Amino acid sequence: MNHTAFVELLNLACGALLVTAVLILWRRQLAAIIRWFTVQGLALTAIAAIIAVDGHDARLGAIAAGVFALRVIALPLLLRRALARAEADGGGRALRETSPLVNVTASLLAAAVLTLLAYAVSRPVVQLTPASPAAHAIPIGLAVALIGFFALVTRRRAMSQLASFLLMDNGITAVGLLTTAGTSLIMELGISLDVLFAAAVLQVLTSRVRDTFGHADLDELRELRD
Amino acid sequence: MRTQALLLASVAVPLFGAACFLLATLRPRPGWRLTAWVSPACAALSLGAAIALAVVRSGHGPVTALGGLVRADSLSEFMLIVIGAVGLLATAASPAWLNAEIAARRASPRAAAKHSALVQLFLAAMAAAVLTASLGLTWVAIEATTIVTAFLVGQRKTRQAVEAAWKYVMICSTGIALALLGLLVLNAAAAHAGLPAGLDWTRLVAAAPHLNRGVTRIAVALLLIGFGTKAGLAPLHAWLPDAHGQAPAPVSALMSGVLLSVAMYAILRVKVIADLALGTEYTRTLLLILALASLLLAASLLISQRDYKRMLAYSSIEHMGLLALGAAAGSPLAVAAVLLHMLGHGLAKGSLFISAGRVLQLTGTHRIDRVSGLASRAPLLAGCLGLGILALLGFPPFSLFASELGIARAGFASGLGWVTTVALALVLVIAAMLLTHVSRMLLGPAPAATEGGLAAGAAPPQAGTERASTASVIQNGSVATLAPPAIYAAETAKPAAMFPDSGLLPVVVALAACAVLGVYAGPVTTLLHAAAQAVVTP
Amino acid sequence: MNALGVTGGVLQAVIVTGGAPVLTGVMRQVRARLEGRAGQGIRQPWRDLRKLLRKEAITPEGTSELFRLAPLVLLATTFTAAVTVPFVTTASAAGPVADLFAVVALLAMGTATLALAALDTGTAFGGMGASREMTILALVEPTLLVSVFALSVRAGSTNLAAIVAATVHDPVRVISPASLLAAVALGVVTIAETGRIPVDNPATHLELTMVHEAMILEYAGPDLALIELASSMRLVVFLGMLSSLFLPWGIATALTPLALAGGVAAFAAKVTLLGAALAAGEVFMAKIRLFRVPELLAGSFLLALLAVASSYFLTGPNL
Repeated sequence: MNHTAFVELLNLACGALLVTAVLILWRRQLAAIIRWFTVQGLALTAIAAIIAVDGHDARLGAIAAGVFALRVIALPLLLRRALARAEADGGGRALRETSPLVNVTASLLAAAVLTLLAYAVSRPVVQLTPASPAAHAIPIGLAVALIGFFALVTRRRAMSQLASFLLMDNGITAVGLLTTAGTSLIMELGISLDVLFAAAVLQVLTSRVRDTFGHADLDELRELRD
Repeated sequence: MRTQALLLASVAVPLFGAACFLLATLRPRPGWRLTAWVSPACAALSLGAAIALAVVRSGHGPVTALGGLVRADSLSEFMLIVIGAVGLLATAASPAWLNAEIAARRASPRAAAKHSALVQLFLAAMAAAVLTASLGLTWVAIEATTIVTAFLVGQRKTRQAVEAAWKYVMICSTGIALALLGLLVLNAAAAHAGLPAGLDWTRLVAAAPHLNRGVTRIAVALLLIGFGTKAGLAPLHAWLPDAHGQAPAPVSALMSGVLLSVAMYAILRVKVIADLALGTEYTRTLLLILALASLLLAASLLISQRDYKRMLAYSSIEHMGLLALGAAAGSPLAVAAVLLHMLGHGLAKGSLFISAGRVLQLTGTHRIDRVSGLASRAPLLAGCLGLGILALLGFPPFSLFASELGIARAGFASGLGWVTTVALALVLVIAAMLLTHVSRMLLGPAPAATEGGLAAGAAPPQAGTERASTASVIQNGSVATLAPPAIYAAETAKPAAMFPDSGLLPVVVALAACAVLGVYAGPVTTLLHAAAQAVVTP
Repeated sequence: MNALGVTGGVLQAVIVTGGAPVLTGVMRQVRARLEGRAGQGIRQPWRDLRKLLRKEAITPEGTSELFRLAPLVLLATTFTAAVTVPFVTTASAAGPVADLFAVVALLAMGTATLALAALDTGTAFGGMGASREMTILALVEPTLLVSVFALSVRAGSTNLAAIVAATVHDPVRVISPASLLAAVALGVVTIAETGRIPVDNPATHLELTMVHEAMILEYAGPDLALIELASSMRLVVFLGMLSSLFLPWGIATALTPLALAGGVAAFAAKVTLLGAALAAGEVFMAKIRLFRVPELLAGSFLLALLAVASSYFLTGPNL
């Protein structure tokens, strides 16, 4: 593909990555969050695929397929199943995040600050390969990771925390794809399996938290403190 | 060929053990007492393989297997011995502990088989972490340990246990994700310097002087914070007291004794690359900050501690801080002391956690002030606990005396005089606290017959399900709400059925080994020095 | 100030003033048809204006000159903006005035004067409408400035004529992340500034839900006609800005009658399409509660900020 098209498509996919991250931070209904998470998985697959096609790299193509299988199919399925169980336990009401620790307006402004912070911090990494358009998009991956971390810290419900953790992981994967087009295949496989199992474990723990405590509001977990 | 088989044995044997236990979960009841001994057998085999590997390979260079995926140099061999030794201790004490739990109706044979399978997987993952040649695969293995131990921590299904499990998985996974980010950034720097993808440690070390400094700085900071989370260093340490306090005793022993050291091993590997790429100042400063913060935190939170298992967990944070201090000093003596400390701490902390688990089974309470007079009630247990604490605090002849002395000497010699003094002062404060708490538990008169918890092996409560009984026993660490038989009567009535004193035999052996190691390191010395050389001048 | 710009300005003055009520009519008709009603017809707003102009000019007791001047100021500022912002051509009639900050200041001045006039009436609803309108304005101005600024980074100047000319010469820029994010942010800004659903319902009869309508409750006759005309022209200006900045096809770059005719037709078509799409969307959306409006505006501000960041840091194919 010619250079212009490559750059434009890559920038578009990275922009989609960032916008979906903002939307996940913005929306409070868990069903909407899962939907935008799936779209973000598609954007991530697109990034990997575009770089693969441009560099004629078969290994990266395999990685793109792996990203698709994990982040568009497996993880959203897991999240949807957890949500369905939570709704069944809760009596069929649509699940929302009960007032996060920081209100939505402040969260969005914090996301703006985090994006600027990401750009400032990742300057040395971008300067490593200044001629590569993919390198210029690294701050976007870092911004998504920071937004995920912020969301993780300010959410109360177990399921929102799980979704935020996966968001942070998406951002880190984006950084990996954009820096040097990923690592070895074995490492990618290992990392993907780890993420999948971690998410599965967290999902089981979520339902256990709900069973033991009667709700999934993590702020109420105060039994263990000094 | 022989060395390669020995290499892979440390991972393959526990996997085989896990498979055995998974089969056992299908038919747990018949022959559980026999199946339980598969666990220590596997651990003994792994330890034997590790020692054989060290003997066979001594004097030669590092050996690889599986096409370069697996690599063993002196450092990995030493870590394998640590994993094998503490693993053997924990798994040898498990059958007695598990039988007592089954007898008290707090666990079923199927749950015990699941527990043992997960412990074997845990051991396999840790062995894999120290054997892989690539930093990336080390990361994968360490994250795998989080996943495997998640259900072990939450095994009891009480409110506290579930909360501890959630915090553990969440905080550790977040921290380790930061480490992954650091690895990817390091990968970028490595690719820029012309290395192939894969983060192979030897190749990174060889190319380290050519790595871009700015990028490596970011990567090293992220890696230290990320792996530091798993090692229990401040600031992301909040999961440690909860997880180690709520997990079953053998699991706490393994986690405190070995898992923290494996994370520290990863930090040491990263330090080698960082020192070559950035000079020693950068990592030294970072590690010093982490070390002092951990020591300060442990000291301040131990003063008013009321739960003895959490107390031991905070002591682990203190010792990890000491290890970070030793790593910051960086001389060969310091690193050798750090490695010896890992082994000694593993044995001592493992013994302490197993004894604490036994105390929990005896008294039914987590609280320090509800336990007293152990010396008169259960002399062997009190002896183990007392000697264990003395070992932990660094009294001679135990090996922690030699290793802490080594770290202090290295600290002063490397120009870290002030920091080492502050650290030693904090260690002194912590020692005083620990002695106070434990002596309160061991000495003094035994409690009166009407007071006292639900003894393991006494008649199980009539009310409700297993969950209700554990909940009522453990609720806020307070005493059971049912009328319990007097602890005296239960103790003198059926001591053998509960927890045979032979269950404490591994603890006694471990403490003895710790003492012997402190006096005469012997063959371990050469391995220690070779491992230290691998870190300081690779 | 060149011939192209002056011609464009004259054409825009005629079209915007004449076509604004028609656009309102089209939007109402689209909404009516989608809701299953017959509708009033496209020319109804002109009929309303004619009716209002023939009525007696009346002002409430206790109001000052401000009340009488506000409609004139509003119409004047909106007319100036309509003439100077480049819609039909790539040059502006009054070069320096076409700067981003000048245009935004003009539009804000109109709204602020109207709010002052609403306060001048001394009624409860006037005060309520004024305070709500100023809250929304205060939150929306930064987004408007930042999102157009994102586009100005690539063009190298904040003059709207320069930005439109740069976009016309390089239409591929429109699909860059900076441009798309700025488009979304400007869309939200348009809805907020012109008082459409989901920020404000222009067809509501309940005073407690009004924002813009509450400010003009006391106006009648020719004054009301001027205000209605100015409001429609404001909507055309904002939709025209959206079309010039993000849909640059058809804008006249040369002073030939064909190009100019094409520019006029393209402008009319694009604005009508955007208006119809907006009206269609209104049928399916509900007005959000007033205390949720800052959330929406904060989100659009974040998108605008991300647009600026993207335009600074993401390389284009030509850089």
